[in-house]
Parts: sequence; structure tokens; C-alpha cells
Amino acid sequence: MSSEPLLRVENLKTQFFTDAGTVRAVDGISFEVHEGEIVGLVGESGAGKSVASMSLLRLVESPGEIVGGEITYRGETLFGLEEGPDGELRERDDMLSNEEMRTRIRGNEIAVIFQDPMETLNPVFTVGGQLREFIELNRDLSGKEARKEAIEMLREVGIPDPEERYEEYPHQFSGGMRQRVLIAMALACEPNLIIADEPTTALDVTVEGQIIDLVDELQEKYDTSFVWVTHDMGVVAEICDRVNVMYLGEIIEQAPVDELFHDTKHPYTEALLNSMPRPDRTVGELEPIEGVMPEAISPPSGCRFHPRCPDAREVCQRVHPENKEVARADGYPHNAACVKHDVFDVGYDESVPLDKEPQMTASTPSAGDDGE
Amino acid sequence: MTVSSPLGSEMSGEDIAYGDSLVEVDGLKKYFNQDSGLLSGVSFDPNQFPPIDVGQQRVKAVDDVSFEIRRGETLGLVGESGCGKSTLGRTILRLLEPTDGTINFKGDDLATLSGEELRQKRSEIQMIFQDPQSSLDPRMRVGQIIEEPMRAHDMLDDEGREERAKELLEKVGLDPHHYNRHPHAFSGGQRQRVNLARALSVNPDFIVCDEPVSALDVSIQAQVLNTMEKLQEEFGLTYLFIAHDLSVIRHISDRVAVMYLGNIVELADKEELFENPQHPYTEALLESIPVPDPRKGEARGVLEGEVPSPINPPSGCRFRTRCPRLIAPDEYEWTDEKWDQTRAFMRAVKRRTFEPMTDEELRVEFFGGTLPQGEPGEIVEEAIDLIATDHASDELEQTQDEWDEARELLLDSFARQSICATEEPAYEIEPEYGTDAHFAACHLHR
Repeated sequence: MSSEPLLRVENLKTQFFTDAGTVRAVDGISFEVHEGEIVGLVGESGAGKSVASMSLLRLVESPGEIVGGEITYRGETLFGLEEGPDGELRERDDMLSNEEMRTRIRGNEIAVIFQDPMETLNPVFTVGGQLREFIELNRDLSGKEARKEAIEMLREVGIPDPEERYEEYPHQFSGGMRQRVLIAMALACEPNLIIADEPTTALDVTVEGQIIDLVDELQEKYDTSFVWVTHDMGVVAEICDRVNVMYLGEIIEQAPVDELFHDTKHPYTEALLNSMPRPDRTVGELEPIEGVMPEAISPPSGCRFHPRCPDAREVCQRVHPENKEVARADGYPHNAACVKHDVFDVGYDESVPLDKEPQMTASTPSAGDDGE
Repeated sequence: MTVSSPLGSEMSGEDIAYGDSLVEVDGLKKYFNQDSGLLSGVSFDPNQFPPIDVGQQRVKAVDDVSFEIRRGETLGLVGESGCGKSTLGRTILRLLEPTDGTINFKGDDLATLSGEELRQKRSEIQMIFQDPQSSLDPRMRVGQIIEEPMRAHDMLDDEGREERAKELLEKVGLDPHHYNRHPHAFSGGQRQRVNLARALSVNPDFIVCDEPVSALDVSIQAQVLNTMEKLQEEFGLTYLFIAHDLSVIRHISDRVAVMYLGNIVELADKEELFENPQHPYTEALLESIPVPDPRKGEARGVLEGEVPSPINPPSGCRFRTRCPRLIAPDEYEWTDEKWDQTRAFMRAVKRRTFEPMTDEELRVEFFGGTLPQGEPGEIVEEAIDLIATDHASDELEQTQDEWDEARELLLDSFARQSICATEEPAYEIEPEYGTDAHFAACHLHR
């Protein structure tokens, strides 16, 4: 493991204050990203992975707010709180200002690729013009130089005939080509870290393949680190070095990619892998996970997965498991938040298995709208 | 197993045995007119000269497709977005008017039925849509939603319909007590179950499922897929299952059809298609799926370029413009190596994927220094002459013309001479898995 991680996230909490109550979208997650690695953030919809990734750049909008934790990027504090004299939490002095975030960090140091390229690109400006403007603003180049650089970047990400296509508008590009433009934009300032939020989800498989290959290639060339947010375990297996699995606002398993798939330590990850149809072999019957993910507004007590967990015992209702190291692989810890592992020592073995309530798949998705 | 119930099948496909063909599609075409807007007749195609075309153009979404669906089976229809798979599904149901061809369903040609006859038929064919949100009316209660098709087809009386709706709710894995809820109170997976119940209410034989699980999370996907399989068995349903996700297709289908640009390029038994694909497009598709296992993979054969426009699809085999195994034109002698290099060069010129270089650099970059022998060599030399920086005139305009000329020269002499461009492929292959016919539209099997 290299010495100092590029990005360190500790106990990050992001909450949304709504009329119905406080939604704890991200509830105390910690992870690290080292130089040159691709770190996956996986989970189903509603797990909090997108909110987590946007929190890294302080891009969470009202009614959402980062309420706790610390984000450090190369020794600089992107977010940090301290206790004030009157006991109130306040932002630390060394935390970067909004101005600094905008001019120094976003784009230059940490860039983002979003899922939907049509919404990121402005439909009334040419693709080249938008890319040029971005380069001009962030890299202090003159218009002409920026244009040359923009064309160079378009060629770099595999857009054919870049001089011609520079003048075209986003709607004239296919989905895959637009995603390439976004990658070009993200790479244009040679950032050290790129946060990719489901960048291939909207694309066809063959195009997805092209984009993954492109990212692989560019990553080798520029040695950029990635935080790759996705729900697709196939993509994770293909591209990630280390993986964080999220469930209901928490990271429940962290491991290098091979260990995650072949030495799975958390029942949720296990169940997720078993519920997937496989492209490479015919599966007789799928084993779905019972029920649906509860809402983050009123998470279950104890382990948040226990109502759906096949291994749940009585103790799981009471004890909330922190993410702990349960094994080691390649110098990296393999963490899991499940009390069935010995390190937790809360009496899982003696505890009685939970009587499975007949979990009708029709249980209400949230407690709020029961009945009429 | 519960009572095989009054929901049973007094009217379902009585005269057709399991495994016999229930739906037979022959030569089906669906073209769309592009007739809105001032400049609708004007189109731009950079692959043609002159690139501007004036005149009515039609989008050939489904172009001459023939296949059969057997009673009790699931036929998977897979392809990328824009290949026409949803249009095909809707045309079979006559939600869209077919341009040409026949759709034989239990002895009737759906393509020619109209009015009341067609409406009556609709009780036997149903559809499930992709988006469980927008396919349910938010103002109606779930019970009403499920009863609506029965009311439209005058099935049962009020009480009978309610009873049946509740029974169906239970069948699809929902609580019958939720009869009075509105769709918003259900999650995505549950809404898709309501859709299933609605489709089943009129006791259909045949259901077209258009991406029924792609909007759902994996864990929920598995629940819905399992329910669909259970219902198929119980009600003797026949599914046409349209999806872009090959893993889902592999799981649920008995046979699989692969679509590309309005054509079916391969159709075979599931096991045969996945283990012994015979069309280069199917191969490329299978290779590009990310496998959820970090120890596999790395064998990715990425497809070049993009899907051409369905307005002017390529002649012959529609996949030929991207095919990694485009067959060399017969009139020249080639070594495999030289043909591979020429093909790569031709496509690079066509897409302008490289920066302008000198004559020498081009020869080294694409041909390892030696051009092909004989006539093809001369043609390549001529093309290099046109685009190499040390031969070109300085004016920018001129260069553009020369690129176009070089491209046309290469395409005319090579790509358009290949059998792939001159003849439409259709071959039947001896299967390796199972005994079912294996259809592959690729001249490699000539």
C-alpha cells in the first residue's frame, strides 16, 4: 500500500431534511482512494452511492447537507467540522472555501463524469465550443490554443474526424460519442481523480465495452485515479481494483475486487451476486433477495440488512455492526459489517436464528403510505 | 400447487399443441415516414456523394423479418437500442401498422385484421411495458387497473371481476388486500407485478414483454423474473421477451433471436447461441458483456464505429460496415494479412481516425511497410497518394475533397465488391447444442 492516500473519506454523513423527516442518505462511510487506482462504489438504487460521490465535491444541494465527517484530498481538507466554543459544530478553518473549491479543486484536481451526457452538455452550444470554454477557463489558455487542445482531446477519446465534429451540436452525437466528449472534458485538465457516476449505464453493451476500454487505456496513460459509481457488478469486476459495497447509506463490505467476488464476507454482497442472471453460463433458478430495500428515513434497527438477510439472528436486530477488518488480502484490509464474523464477538453463534416473517414481496415500500 | 383454478384456460390456444408454432411472422416490414417539419425531405449523409439528399425518406425500422414463436416457449429478442426490437414487438401486436408482411396468429393474419375483429383478438395477446411507472394510471386503483381489460372484453360481472383481480394479485405475488391501493404506494418491482396481473386478466395466450425488468434493481429483477417463469408454467403462456441485457435473455429464453438494424441476424436455441455463436455481430455482443467475475474477461473484441442510419442501411449484410470479418472481394488475390491491413486502412480513412501523415508514415502505420500485391496494391497506393501530407496541396478545402475521393475509391474497389455487400446472407447451420435449427445471416457460412 502506498503511503498517503490521494483521497481519504472518514465517517462522512450526508442528510436530507425533508418534511417527512431526516433522510440519512449517507450515514458514516469511510474509504480511501490511492494514486492510480479505480475504486468502485456499488449498490442498488437508493443505497446512497450518488449522494456519497457528490458529497466528495461538496455538490450536495439543499435540502441536503453534509453534517459530519472529514474529506481530505492530498493533505487539504475538502470538508471538516470542529466543535465551537458553544458546543456547536462549525466548519474548520483549514477547510477550503467555496471559491477555492471552484477554482482549484473541481475540474483541475477532481473531475466528474455524469450518467446522462445529454443533460450535462448544453444543447445550444457546439460540442467543441463547450470543451474549448472549459479548457480556456481552467487552464488559462488563449482561445486558439484551447481550440487546438480541444480537438486533440476529442481525437484522444476516439471521436472520428474531430475537426469536423468540433462544430457539431450535442444532439448530432450518439450516446456513446457524447459520453466520450464528457470523458474528454473530464480529462482536459489532467485531474488526479475522476468521479464517474454510472458513466456507462445508459449505453448499449458494445458501446459500454468501448468506453470501458477507453477508460482503461487513458488511465494507464495519465495514471488518473477513479471513483467509479455503479450498480453493475459486471462492470465492477471488469474495471475496479478495490470495491466498496453500499447498502442503505452505509458501506457494508470493502475489499480488493477478486476477494469481493471470490471470498465474499457480507451476506448482502453474497445475495446480490446470487440474484444476478449470468451472461457466461445458464443459471437454473435465480435466488432473489427477499423484500425491498427499506427507506433511509427509517432504517431498521441493528444491522440494516437483517430483515432481508438469510443469515439473520436475534443479535442482528440489536447490534449495529461497524465495518471491521475480517481478513487481509494484498496488504489491503477486507472489511465487512456483519456480526457473524468472529472479530465482532457479540454472541452471534449462541443467538437464535430469526423466525422469518413471511416476507410478502408486497410489503409496503415505506411505512409512511400504508393504507388510504 | 394450488388449484389450477377458474383462471385456467378454457379459451387458450386450445387447438395448438405445446411446441407448435403459435405466432408466425413472415416478411414483416415496418417503415416510418419522416414527414414532419419544413426540411423533412432533406437529409444529410456524409457517406454519400453529394451528401445532401432531397426526397421522402423512410426509416426502415423493421425490414423483412421472419420467424415463428412456439406455444409455451419464451423467445428472447435481443439487440442494441435502435435496432428495431421494440418496433417489431409492437408491430406484431398491431399497435403499429405493418408496412408489409404477415403475422399469423392461431390461423388469423393479424396484419390484415381490423376494427372489431382485431379488438376481440387483443384479449389473446397482451403486452408488458418497460416503465412500470408510466404504464399504470396514477389516478386508478390497482383493482380497477387489473379489471379494465376484462371490462373492455366483457368478461364476467362486477363481482366476478373483483374476485378474479384479487386472485391474480395473489398469483403475481402481491397481497390481495392491496386491491384498493393506488400505484404510487407500490415499489417498481411491485408495479411491474401489477402490470403482469393486468396482462393476465383477460387470459391471453401470448404476451409481448418489452424490457420488463430493465428498470429494476438486480435483486428485484430476480424476483420478477422468477414470478414470470412461474406464471408461464401455470397458465401455459408464450412470451416474446424483448431485452437488451444478454444475461437476462440467457436466463429466461428458450430460443434467442439477435437483431441488428432492422434484421434478425441470428436465431438459435439459447445454449447454442451463447456457446456457439455464428454471426460476428452476436460474437461481438457476447464478448462485450462485462462478466461479474474479475478472473474472467480481458478477451474483449470491441466493435468499431457506430450503427449506420436505418434510412439508408448498407446493402447486403447490414453489419458489413463494422464487421471485423468482412470477406475479401473475390476478384483479387489476397493473403489474410494484407486483407486485414487493407480493411483497417479503408475504415480508418472512412472515419478519419488518424491525423494526416506522410506517404511513408502511412505505409508503415497501416501496412508494415509493404503494400498488397498487384491491383489492390495499386488502388491502395492511389488512395495514399490522395491523402498523404507530402502530396497534398496546401489548401484546406482541397484536402477535404481528396479525403472524400480516397474514401470513395477504397470503398468502391473493396468494401462494395465483397459478397457481404452484394448478396443478402441467410444460412442454416448444423447446431452443436440441441437439435433446433440455427439460422445465421452471415456469408462466412456459404
